[in-house]
Amino acid sequence: MSHVLTRTRRSRAPQRRPDPVRTAIRGVGELLLTVGLVVLLFVFYEAYFTNWSSAEKQHEATAKLDDTWHNARGLVSRPVQGAGIAKLYIPAFGPDFVFTVLEGTDPTTLEAGPGHYLGTATPGEVGNFAVAGHRVGKGSPFNSIDQLSSCDAIVVETADHWYVYRVLPLQGELAGWSAGKGTRSQCRGVDPLPGRYTNVVGKAVVLPSQVEVIAPVPGHPGRNPSSRLITLTTCHPQFSASHRLIVHGVLVASYRKVEGQRPAELTAAA
Amino acid sequence: MYSWIWRHLPGLPAAKALQALVLVAGVVALLLFVVFPWAEPRLPFNDVTAGS
Repeated sequence: MSHVLTRTRRSRAPQRRPDPVRTAIRGVGELLLTVGLVVLLFVFYEAYFTNWSSAEKQHEATAKLDDTWHNARGLVSRPVQGAGIAKLYIPAFGPDFVFTVLEGTDPTTLEAGPGHYLGTATPGEVGNFAVAGHRVGKGSPFNSIDQLSSCDAIVVETADHWYVYRVLPLQGELAGWSAGKGTRSQCRGVDPLPGRYTNVVGKAVVLPSQVEVIAPVPGHPGRNPSSRLITLTTCHPQFSASHRLIVHGVLVASYRKVEGQRPAELTAAA
Repeated sequence: MYSWIWRHLPGLPAAKALQALVLVAGVVALLLFVVFPWAEPRLPFNDVTAGS
């Protein structure tokens, strides 16, 4: 029975005249479906696919940095754009959270990991050590920095030092800080900054054009810094580039590196 | 469009299906490895630096 049906259909098919309206409408429909699938594929590319190649680049950069630290200890050379300069740990995100920070913030560098804004302070220096990182895809180093609380540690490892920064008090915590959260042990050394730093708080959402957040004194480009700060920038909200999420931290401790030892901030829960 | 391609693929339906899969894989690879990397910096989705 089915055999017969197939036969009739086959013999009839070539004679059916294509209706141009029907063909056109179907063509448009197919085109729209295709565009939809391409957009979905782009989302997959941005959120997942780029992670794979970025993980490999980050791994390479880390291996190179480790090699430099082991073989050229004591030799100070100007960092090359795109090369690793330090390692960044955020214990609040778990003991595995470590990224090699690279010199420069061009797109190619940022594909391999967080990037150090050229010309901003080096780790531990007076001024503002500013680092940009991707929020979604490309390894997503800074995906969760919106969840950082005040006093969370941001630890930077260089060739010969550990620098422990902690997130500054948030806007809503400034009043009553010294009697409130400021009394906790993890907040030792974290205080609302005085003077020209008064507007510098732990977290802020700014416009992409507000480059002054990475100035030596955030918000006041051109003024001489007196504090040692770290600034992390990423896009905000997730999947968008309409704003930037900014996290400011202040240096609370620094240790000279001792082979085989890690600072207590990394081993204890943040 | 798709029915046109299907009609122009040679062989039995099984062979056609296999060729269709290869074609889809080719288009996906072209998008992921060539088109998206080219288009991405031109799209405003993933800028993370201040001042750009």
